[in-house]
Amino acid sequence: MATRRTFLKLAGLKLAGAAGLAAPSLASAQGAGRVVVVGGGFGGATAARTLKQLDAKLNVTLVEPNPIYTACPFSNSVLANLREMSQQQFRYDGIKAAGVTVAETSVTAIDASARTATLADGTQLSWDRLVLSPGIDFDWGAIPGYDEAAAQKMPHAWKAGAQTVLLRQQLQDMRDGGLVVMSSPPNPYRCPPGPYERASLIAYWLSIWKPKSKLLLLDSKDAFSKQRLFQDGWAQLYPGTIEWVPLSKGGKVTSVDPATLTLTTEFGSHKADVANVIPPQKAGAIAAKAGVADRTGWCPVEPVAFESTLQRGIHVLGDAAIMGAMPKSAFAANAQAKVCAAAIVELLAGRAPPQPLLINTCYSLLAADYGISIAGVYRPDKGLLADVPGAGGVSPLGAVGGLRGQEALYASSWFRTITAETFG
Amino acid sequence: MGRLLLPVLVLAFLSGGPAQAADGPPGGPPGASSCTGCHAPMKVTDSVIPRIAGRKAADIVTFMREYRSGAWPSSVMGRIAKGFSDPEIDAIAAWFAVQPE
Repeated sequence: MATRRTFLKLAGLKLAGAAGLAAPSLASAQGAGRVVVVGGGFGGATAARTLKQLDAKLNVTLVEPNPIYTACPFSNSVLANLREMSQQQFRYDGIKAAGVTVAETSVTAIDASARTATLADGTQLSWDRLVLSPGIDFDWGAIPGYDEAAAQKMPHAWKAGAQTVLLRQQLQDMRDGGLVVMSSPPNPYRCPPGPYERASLIAYWLSIWKPKSKLLLLDSKDAFSKQRLFQDGWAQLYPGTIEWVPLSKGGKVTSVDPATLTLTTEFGSHKADVANVIPPQKAGAIAAKAGVADRTGWCPVEPVAFESTLQRGIHVLGDAAIMGAMPKSAFAANAQAKVCAAAIVELLAGRAPPQPLLINTCYSLLAADYGISIAGVYRPDKGLLADVPGAGGVSPLGAVGGLRGQEALYASSWFRTITAETFG
Repeated sequence: MGRLLLPVLVLAFLSGGPAQAADGPPGGPPGASSCTGCHAPMKVTDSVIPRIAGRKAADIVTFMREYRSGAWPSSVMGRIAKGFSDPEIDAIAAWFAVQPE
């Protein structure tokens, strides 16, 4: 039992060590509070920062090899020359200033029973809780002919950065009258409306600079996010430019030949002037190494603290995790990270975390001033995050006055907000 | 008496951080932490999305209920508000009201 003297000693330590006004828990003052976060995207960076905000006494290390993060949301606007790549890039100075130790390296191994993470230089970090937010990796080999070398000829541009710049350059170098062929992956994958926003914004750019060109969108699905809104917008904005080929009409790409920029489906072959292959995906590689990915390649988690159902003490966030009804988006990863951080503070204090409610909102642009949205509200139900009935949905169809312009404006405001909250 | 009072005062002082100003779990009541994905806790230049930190709880409650019913037109907020009950809205509004403006 703590005497008054020991309590004051603890309290004094807290006061002396308080880097801000955030509230440390008693448990962390007693020494249980080492959290390692792997991956510095919208999930990991938010989790690390929020953990320090909620409990300044926690020892939080963020492991991320890249000194600069390149954000995927709005990277389709970079392709269409509506944005500079520099507007997509963020440093970790804000995270460091929040008191997080940033280790600019990668994790090579995780031992869930010993509760350690091994870094590339051999250093071992011990943790009480581990947060994995590794994003996606590509399932190379799922499309015969499409490997990392092929991605230099037929960019995926599904991790923003050099691939985005490469695809933009290929579009700019293409002759007017050329054919752009895109391949959209089967579910689940990062950013469900992303391929269709990309098709829209490439068509937008083509309509200005290469108006005789066409875009063929080969899809491994028969339906997609915000489908009616996209298709109505395409008919209105880019009539005859975008041809969408669903799975049932031969949309699934079964092989590619990067030497000739040819994409083959069960129904025939398409020779592209520019080819953008968005391949099938799985959780980032560290998830499988940590033993938290299942046979699908993604990570099952419980819906309250997003703790792995395969390894105790390891939480998985964002695109890598199976989040039930919640889609793989930056907004979702950021929202999950805040819930997870608060839950970890509770768990470290020996308390049960509360049942959360989460929101997702995703904007897509069809042109510089034409935005649409999808939103959802989620809560735990039968072991998964489920849609709250009656909530959520997409922007209205039809003539909606200035709503499309308003939503384009909200989209850019959202990007400023979420990047400020995550990295700023 | 003194034995009990001092720790209580110390705890009260320590728990007054910006992220935990209201009673309840760290990070706010259910749903609150998702709001800041759009409604930033800090000032963001060039954003048309209003900040809600430090707004009167009663105002936040009114907006959320009117978004939910459709009485006040919206783009995305009506769809989101439909996912929240009156007590959930009340708790979120009370929490944002005491966040630094």
